[in-house]
Amino acid sequence: MGLRLLRKILIPFAALVIAASVGTLVIGRTHAAATGSSSAMSLTAQSALTQKAEAAAGYQLFQQHCSFCHGAQANGSTGLAPNLQGLGPGTVQLWLSAGWMPLKTPSAQPEAKYPIFTPQQIVDVAEWVASLHPGGVPIAPSLDLKTGSLSNGFSLFTETCAPCHTITGAGDALADGYHAPPLHGVTSQQIWEAVRSGPQNMPQFGPKNITPSELNDIVKYVTQVIEHPSHPGGIALGGVGPVAEGFVGLFAGVGACMVAAYWVGDRTERDEEDDEEHEHSGDDPTLAPEGANA
Amino acid sequence: MIDGLYKWIDNRLNISGGTRKLVNKIFPDHWSFMLGEIALYSFVILLATGVFLTLYFEPSQQQVVYHGSYLPLVGQKMSEAFQSTINLSFAVRCGLLMRQMHHWAANIFVGSIVVHMCRVFFTGGFRRPRELNWIIGVNLMIFAIFNGFLGYSLPDDLVSGTGIRISFSILESLPGGSYIATWLFGGQFPGTLLIDRFFIIHVLILPAAIAGLLAAHLGLLVKQKHTAFAGNGATEKNVVGAPMWPTFLAKTNGFLFLVAGVTALLAATVQINPIWQYGPYVPYKVSYAVQPDWYMGWLDGALRIMPSWEIVLPGHMIPNVFFPGILLPGITFTVLMFWPIIEARFRHDTLEHHILEEPRNNPWRTALGASVLAFYFVLFGASADDVLANYLSVSLNTVLVAFRYLVVLVPVIVYPVTYKICLELQHQPRASKTKRHNIVLRSADGGYSTVESAARPGDALPSFPPLPLDNLIIVGDGAGDGTNGADGAASNGSDTKRGIFRIPRSYR
Repeated sequence: MGLRLLRKILIPFAALVIAASVGTLVIGRTHAAATGSSSAMSLTAQSALTQKAEAAAGYQLFQQHCSFCHGAQANGSTGLAPNLQGLGPGTVQLWLSAGWMPLKTPSAQPEAKYPIFTPQQIVDVAEWVASLHPGGVPIAPSLDLKTGSLSNGFSLFTETCAPCHTITGAGDALADGYHAPPLHGVTSQQIWEAVRSGPQNMPQFGPKNITPSELNDIVKYVTQVIEHPSHPGGIALGGVGPVAEGFVGLFAGVGACMVAAYWVGDRTERDEEDDEEHEHSGDDPTLAPEGANA
Repeated sequence: MIDGLYKWIDNRLNISGGTRKLVNKIFPDHWSFMLGEIALYSFVILLATGVFLTLYFEPSQQQVVYHGSYLPLVGQKMSEAFQSTINLSFAVRCGLLMRQMHHWAANIFVGSIVVHMCRVFFTGGFRRPRELNWIIGVNLMIFAIFNGFLGYSLPDDLVSGTGIRISFSILESLPGGSYIATWLFGGQFPGTLLIDRFFIIHVLILPAAIAGLLAAHLGLLVKQKHTAFAGNGATEKNVVGAPMWPTFLAKTNGFLFLVAGVTALLAATVQINPIWQYGPYVPYKVSYAVQPDWYMGWLDGALRIMPSWEIVLPGHMIPNVFFPGILLPGITFTVLMFWPIIEARFRHDTLEHHILEEPRNNPWRTALGASVLAFYFVLFGASADDVLANYLSVSLNTVLVAFRYLVVLVPVIVYPVTYKICLELQHQPRASKTKRHNIVLRSADGGYSTVESAARPGDALPSFPPLPLDNLIIVGDGAGDGTNGADGAASNGSDTKRGIFRIPRSYR
């Protein structure tokens, strides 16, 4: 409980305090630079270092939206967020295109949102981050989904993906507030990058674990079958397993049969009083009740 | 001509008397007496669709390579059982509809047994002399649940295979369980015999047992006569309702088609058990968000929320799954089966009862039943703890712990609430009836008075006082006793085909 309190209350509070101090520092610095004080020297040195990087279009976007937590050099120097250097452009592209970043609220797991950048902007940011440090997960290559094997993809999906994402790709809750997100509406690029980079709770699968052609098959199965399932049997009930079917069977199935029984059977509870009621039952319902005539 | 033929047959087989008795059997009108018929008719549907499915199903675990019409499976290795289920779904005309009807009918079958059982329980219909029929009914439910589980396992798909794996482990938790499990499965899990064995039990042994018990259930019903709700001339010595022919037969046949219609509608519109999405069972593969069908769901829920206690008897640790997997259903079904005897002992009630109790008039039993139902419903909910956590965006751990509390708290809360509601209803003589307007009248000298308005059509059906018509005795000890009475009942008296028939109870 103490850890959760820390995460929920103290971290945002700490973020606020840091934001305030960073803000005052920045204002003080620019003021000092304008007046031509001694700190002008170090500023020029820094700009020389990043001169090449600044030229990239992603630099501005990163500084505006990401640097607050990840640091101006994406190295996690603020202590608020992890170091992004060396993770590769594929990782950055995945997190931005899924809308996980920028973070909306600090929670166990970032929520998927509509991405704030356009696809081109995402590539720009990813390339700028990648330019800081080599290596990591590359941006997904364009996959040739015409050649892959659906059947092999299905088999591999069952083995490596279904244990968390469920066999229908509906997604499910994992322990400690994490969840495996649904796979409906993901792009082939995201699947590729997620498998290679292992975001959040997901394990990372390298090319020796899942070969490029196997990954091609998985992507083919997810994009063509999981995202476009055929439901020849009718309404799919969310693909969350037999418990939904049980509720439908009990409430719609048995329920409808009970309504039928209620319709066919006699539904009035009768007792001694009914003898006198019987005399009234033939009356025209529109007539005033007998009491009113008295 | 037909008359002559009938006389010829009757002279040799003497069927008139028995048939006359049967034709004139009185069935109560109240709708709640038709709940058991839902079970009966869904069993009929299960038999009909099941026969269709056996024509195409191949009960074998022989590994084959699929080359059918469903592309994602082409080239995958699977058992013949799975392949034939896929083929009967996709390549056989009406196959998928039949499979879905069979599965939905199974869900409705067990569901209606439970609902029927609730009606009998809450109205005290199991009391002497009907204890035996209650016990038969409980056994029918156990067999139905077992057979449902076996049928769910037959396609040998990923989801059901996981369920069989769990049941294998549960069997192993019995004392000497590893012997029992390997004997039943013909070796270690999964082996090569299991589908074959399950198939024979599913299509032959258990259906035969169910049919036999069903015959006994209905035979005892005819022998012991129906119970009845109080009122409308019902006493401890008669049965009030409509005769088998023609009223009840027409009604019940119509009801058969209604139940079949509901099943067919569900099967045609709502998908159940899409095994082509699950794929064949492979022991090292597993999917998340997997539960058994609802009638096994409470057991799955109990397994999920069971704390990891390790109870060690001298020299032997009791496996944890023993408590939710063996002990819970064992206690459940034992207590359920012997409940009529337990209650009679507890209440010192040795009298015969033919008039049903209003549930509100026996708050103790009603509250107990409601609270037990709540217990199992919470367990059923626990079998979907992961799905609930996902939909509610709550941590799975929180949901799990919450269910551990709820499974105790909910029944404890339901009991007093139900008890109180029953007591309140006892003071409302018109409870459960249609409300009528109260008309406020003002007299000439300024006084006010309230008068209840007259009944509207449908508020109460006409009732008939019991008539001492001895010639209407239609069931007697001898076969010839009631022959003329029945015709009289059908044509004589009311045009609503309703009547009072005094029926001596031969066993009294």
